[in-house]
Amino acid sequence: MALIRGRQKKAGAQIFTASMADIVFLLIVFFVLTYNVEKDRTQVQLPKTNVRIEVPKDEKLAIISIASPDEGHVIRVSSGDEMSLPVSSDEEIVTFASNVVAGNPQQKFVIKADKSVAYERVDAVLDALKQAKAKVIFLLSDQKTIKDS
Amino acid sequence: MKLAKRETESEIFTGSMADISFLLIIYFMLTSVFSATRGLDFALPEDSTNPPEIKQEDSIDVNVRAGGVLYVDGEEMPLDQLLPYVADKIRQNPDKPVILRTDPDATYENMITVFDELRLAKEKEHIEIKTISIPTQREIENIWTRLLG
Repeated sequence: MALIRGRQKKAGAQIFTASMADIVFLLIVFFVLTYNVEKDRTQVQLPKTNVRIEVPKDEKLAIISIASPDEGHVIRVSSGDEMSLPVSSDEEIVTFASNVVAGNPQQKFVIKADKSVAYERVDAVLDALKQAKAKVIFLLSDQKTIKDS
Repeated sequence: MKLAKRETESEIFTGSMADISFLLIIYFMLTSVFSATRGLDFALPEDSTNPPEIKQEDSIDVNVRAGGVLYVDGEEMPLDQLLPYVADKIRQNPDKPVILRTDPDATYENMITVFDELRLAKEKEHIEIKTISIPTQREIENIWTRLLG
């Protein structure tokens, strides 16, 4: 009996990894489809709203971000082609917006402002966009839930 | 004597595929962001240098003050009473515009909350607000200068 047991072929212990590639590829496909390099990486807490209109995805958008008061209300602008750059005065926002509108009169602007920003700063940005004759503005927001209301 | 040949199984080595895939995933995770792509939109008048003059008595004046305190046509009003009030006015005159003025010391969130509420007019009160005007501080000052001068 002992001899027979000794001849038994031992099965090597192994972890089945064939499905790992499938899972990983699914993850890659997901990331490729949702891939979006954000031109502005300012960390903001957006205000919450019930009405949320989809920002057009198929066209280039000019972005103006306003950081929270803790981060000094820093305003950054991007025409949609390059990463956002900080601006130091309201005149610079007007110049930026005017240049963008001169390049494309139908250019849409996105304002990404922290909810705790003093309205004075948003007002300055809106005023600059009005002076530059911008036509459509999107005020980014998060979805309001029952818990928020 | 013919010896039985030991056949080697042909296989594609896929061990490194998982490594490559994981590297790709890490790349996409680090460079991709799930950006907010929705918000409140509004269109600016075509010719903002010469906007149509809206007299305060012809419109519904909504003033957002610090802390989100709301004054409608000069009277303090809770947010939940805003739409019934506006709806009543709009039913009498469907072209009546709403002017949304926000004090500089209020927060952006205060303004967005009221703007969002006004945008819900159709769902909550079955009325359509044709014009929601958001004048900037400079425009308000210009109007005052014109009135006083």
